[in-house]
Amino acid sequence: MFPRLLWKLLRSNRGRLAVALVAVISGATVISALLNVQFDISRKLTQEFQMLGPNLVIAPPGRMQTQNAGAASAPLMDEATVAGQIARTRTPALISAAPYLYIVARVADTPVVVAGTQLGEAEILNPTWKQETGFPRYLPATRARPLDACIVGRNVARQLKLAPGGPLELKYLNRTAAMTVWSILDSGGAEDNQIFADLTVVQTLAGMKGQIQVEQLRVNGTSSAISAYAASLSKSLPGYDVRPVRAVSEAEGNLLNRTRLLILSMILLILVLTALCVLATMAALAMERRADVGLMKALGGTISRIVGLFLAEVGVLGAVGGLIGCVAGLALAQWMGRQVFGTPITPRWEIFPLTIAMMVVVSMAGALPLRTLGKIKPAVILRGE
Amino acid sequence: MAPLVQIENLRKEFANVRALDGVSFVVQAGEWIAIMGPSGSGKTTLINILGGLDTPTSGRAIVDGTDVARLDENGLARFRAEKIGFVFQQFHLVPYLTALENVMLAQYFHSTTDEGEAREALGRVGLTDRVEHLPGQLSGGEQQRVAVARALINHPKLILADEPTGNLDEANEGIVLKLLRELHAEGHTILMVTHAASIGQLADRRIDLAHGRLATEHAARRV
Ligand SMILES: Nc1ncnc2c1ncn2[C@@H]1O[C@H](COP(=O)(O)OP(=O)(O)O)[C@@H](O)[C@H]1O
Ligand SMILES: [Mg+2]
Repeated sequence: MFPRLLWKLLRSNRGRLAVALVAVISGATVISALLNVQFDISRKLTQEFQMLGPNLVIAPPGRMQTQNAGAASAPLMDEATVAGQIARTRTPALISAAPYLYIVARVADTPVVVAGTQLGEAEILNPTWKQETGFPRYLPATRARPLDACIVGRNVARQLKLAPGGPLELKYLNRTAAMTVWSILDSGGAEDNQIFADLTVVQTLAGMKGQIQVEQLRVNGTSSAISAYAASLSKSLPGYDVRPVRAVSEAEGNLLNRTRLLILSMILLILVLTALCVLATMAALAMERRADVGLMKALGGTISRIVGLFLAEVGVLGAVGGLIGCVAGLALAQWMGRQVFGTPITPRWEIFPLTIAMMVVVSMAGALPLRTLGKIKPAVILRGE
Repeated sequence: MAPLVQIENLRKEFANVRALDGVSFVVQAGEWIAIMGPSGSGKTTLINILGGLDTPTSGRAIVDGTDVARLDENGLARFRAEKIGFVFQQFHLVPYLTALENVMLAQYFHSTTDEGEAREALGRVGLTDRVEHLPGQLSGGEQQRVAVARALINHPKLILADEPTGNLDEANEGIVLKLLRELHAEGHTILMVTHAASIGQLADRRIDLAHGRLATEHAARRV
């Protein structure tokens, strides 16, 4: 009988309940969309920040090196020592580590900064790099990269009229190295003015076997986790300068915290507004139901049984509204992802029970006016005054 | 055998109105009592207290061994569900429930529903082909018959009918009175409020109220 009564109650008040349902659906839509964004955005933003490149740098004692420092006279580090300590302190959070040796070589009598590195590691380190290989996109991955491969910065390529697949001769002092242009690099940064070649080739060319100037690393995690990792590396490389590139990590943390706060306060606000909408509907409904309640009491219905019936009705309202809202919210989140963050947002299914539960609770809170029905005196109601 | 209903010096005051002013009487099981008296004499108030819809200011109202005045809210609800069957002048059916569901509602608050039994009760009041109708689709007489079926469904000790034919035309009045007569014949105890002397005559006994007192008692005092 309970489901039957519930169904009749819902049907008989569908006009009023529809208004409350729209409020619940709207609330659930925005909340589930915001939650979806919130759950997904930390991952997305973290990924996005990590796209930016290295966030940890190891430089020789006494002087911080950047990849733009070009002089061969700069202080050097022993490649094997640094690599050994990185391997020893390795954590799963370490995405990549690339050693760099910079020299200024000449190409057709034009001086160019040449960075010797491990090209594969450098690419992982800088995921925003765009490379033009002159091959169909799917080919390079299947093509083994030879030792003489060079990644040539966009500006260098334009100035020296270099194209993928073409030959390239590097000159340093009286030594030369015959290379092949592997790809043209569009980094949008200083790398566009450089040539990247294999570390051993550059070390040989420069006569600096086993020497590097700087090691760049990319480590996953919060700024404090990165700092902690830097500290442990620093301990195993006494005297070396191990530094997080702070700007990125901290901006990341701050932005994430602020978005979370913003989204949570918006969700709270929407919950309150939804509850108020349901409240208004239920207050009107409670007035309309006085006669029914008086009669139900006369028939022997206890307050808890009668109010339980109405609460179940409101619960259904919250659950149905929550469910519909969740579906709409996922769509809204997709749209927001594309329009606002320029990335698709992964639907998070745990949002369904969460949002539905919130909507049921909020609807129940909105059903507070039904409490007044408990005080109804059947004798007064049945008298018909 | 103890009387089914025992009322002792029952008083009920509203704000400054004395609706019942020391009423005492007993009703034996199986009796059909007509409660009569002018408007405002306290008939409805009496019925409401006996049915556990209202509580007396003082005095005792014992129904089937239970002093109604001593029950709390939940106790009253249980009492109404188990011992009382109401028939009201304005029918008081739930408008969005069918005739069948209105009867089943009483079953639901009593214990468990039994659709077959509810259909049977409606058949008994001659509404076999009206079970799926909403109150709005039924005539006044039919609605009151649904109310009678509802009052019967839980086999109550006491049927309380407050002017059950007050809103009915003569034909329907006849049908409802015939039902009450049948119920009486089966041994049900009925307290029925009525204005009409002709209806009052059908009962075993009349209790006359005036100004919240038994009229006979009232008269006796004056003598
Ligand atoms: N809830 C109430 N509040 C105030 N006065 C009431 C209430 N119920 C009944 N009365 C008064 O009590 C008296 C008896 O009422 P009632 O029992 O309804 O009379 P009857 O049913 O015989 O017409 C009347 O004067 C009525 O106005
Ligand atoms: Mg009356």
